[in-house]
Amino acid sequence: MRWATRSGVHIDRAACAWLIRRFLDPQAEFVFVADPDEVPVDATAFDMRGVELSHHGGDCTFETMLRRFGLDDPVLWDLARIVHEADLADERYDAPEAPGLDVLLRGLSMICADQEVVTIGGRLFDGLYEHRRRALLLGREPS
Amino acid sequence: MVAGSISRWVLLAYRLPREPSTPRIALWRKLRRLGAAQLQDGLVALPLDARTREQLEWLAEEVSEAGGEAAVWLAEPATAAQERALATRMAALVAKEYRVVLAAVEAARLQPEGPRRRTVARLRRELRRIGQRDYFPPPEREQARAAVAELASQLEACAERAGRAAR
Repeated sequence: MRWATRSGVHIDRAACAWLIRRFLDPQAEFVFVADPDEVPVDATAFDMRGVELSHHGGDCTFETMLRRFGLDDPVLWDLARIVHEADLADERYDAPEAPGLDVLLRGLSMICADQEVVTIGGRLFDGLYEHRRRALLLGREPS
Repeated sequence: MVAGSISRWVLLAYRLPREPSTPRIALWRKLRRLGAAQLQDGLVALPLDARTREQLEWLAEEVSEAGGEAAVWLAEPATAAQERALATRMAALVAKEYRVVLAAVEAARLQPEGPRRRTVARLRRELRRIGQRDYFPPPEREQARAAVAELASQLEACAERAGRAAR
């Protein structure tokens, strides 16, 4: 399937692309557009104004995707807490990891094209997922 | 921004129903956290960058979802003086926040070590929060940062002395 989002990928879009590839559509192909009008007709748009898979009711797109696709894995919701704060910093959640992740993604987007941000960001999220999975299993921070 | 030069801004024009008031208050809080300058009723501005533009776009979406109308515009002030006036106003608002931090540092000097440590942690978070909406840093920024850093280094010195005494 084709998926489309705004170019200049940052935290929320990188997290969503990772979520799509890992949990929804392993063959996902991403298109990056400068304007909503450029979304190809056969692509599902996300993290753009006016589309269903976007910010809603104060949720970021990553949270919207978890809700819309019924992904109830508690590890993903723990990542959602971090992604939400890294994206919006509205202090809805306590996420000390968020400012660091925000900076990493911002730096990455300064040196890479969007496709590469998604690829490298994907590995970051793989690691973050594993870290939070072990933390939830252990009930404390894993070493 | 270089003094006198004109830069680009992102504007959010919005209208929300008077009732219910919850979305109005939520929007007002978010605009305040972003440090948006209120140009008029229903019109706010931020210096343009990828983040500010995106944040205002999401707020526009929230306004629409709450039954209101919103549009995001990219703009330039017609004169440098107009821009300076706006920047000065925005800087004055964050300067006030930095002065609150400076006052808290003064008050913390009288605190015992434990509460003082917690104050340092709280003020560091506060500085980060203010930094997110500090687009035209006033001199108070460096003063507040230096004051918090000094308070923190005094605590370190305290801990070191205590460590040496224990050995």
